[in-house]
Amino acid sequence: MKPGRVIGTVTLSQAAPQFRGARWLVVSPMTQDELTGKNPGMSQASTPVVYDNMGAGTGDEILYVEGAEATQPFPNPIPLDAINVAILDHYSYVTP
Amino acid sequence: MLHARIDGRATATIAHPSLKGQKIVICTPIDEFGATNGSPFAAVDPIGAGQHSKVIITTDGSWTQNTVHDDTSPIRNQVIGIID
Repeated sequence: MKPGRVIGTVTLSQAAPQFRGARWLVVSPMTQDELTGKNPGMSQASTPVVYDNMGAGTGDEILYVEGAEATQPFPNPIPLDAINVAILDHYSYVTP
Repeated sequence: MLHARIDGRATATIAHPSLKGQKIVICTPIDEFGATNGSPFAAVDPIGAGQHSKVIITTDGSWTQNTVHDDTSPIRNQVIGIID
């Protein structure tokens, strides 16, 4: 699970049939500077597109999973690589 | 297996059902000298490691599906040991 900030959404006109009705988020991964609040904006890391079935919106902080495990909630094979697993209410992050 | 230090915690009301009741920690990957070695990530923590403790993390999704008792869980990272 990686922490990320939702910076936008994606809509598709054509998609694989498994993705009918899917929501997609553009996510800026949060590095140390974003987690500690030193940088309130986006990180320099490249921004993955993440499948969402929880209704996250722009500005929300989420946890997303990348890799084969992202397909685990689906009963049938699905060409998916990243999924939102939690919308954070609160987090703390302090380095020693 | 990752070597990391626990630097934070997170709570989420809206989350995958397999995260319900699980403690979520935010970890910083570290090298053998304790220096930061990459971007922070989150993990479930069933063993209750304290703030700033050094831990090892498994990224094996199938093991985590086993510990959260949910075959449909997408969660991968889990704290499996606290380093003395």
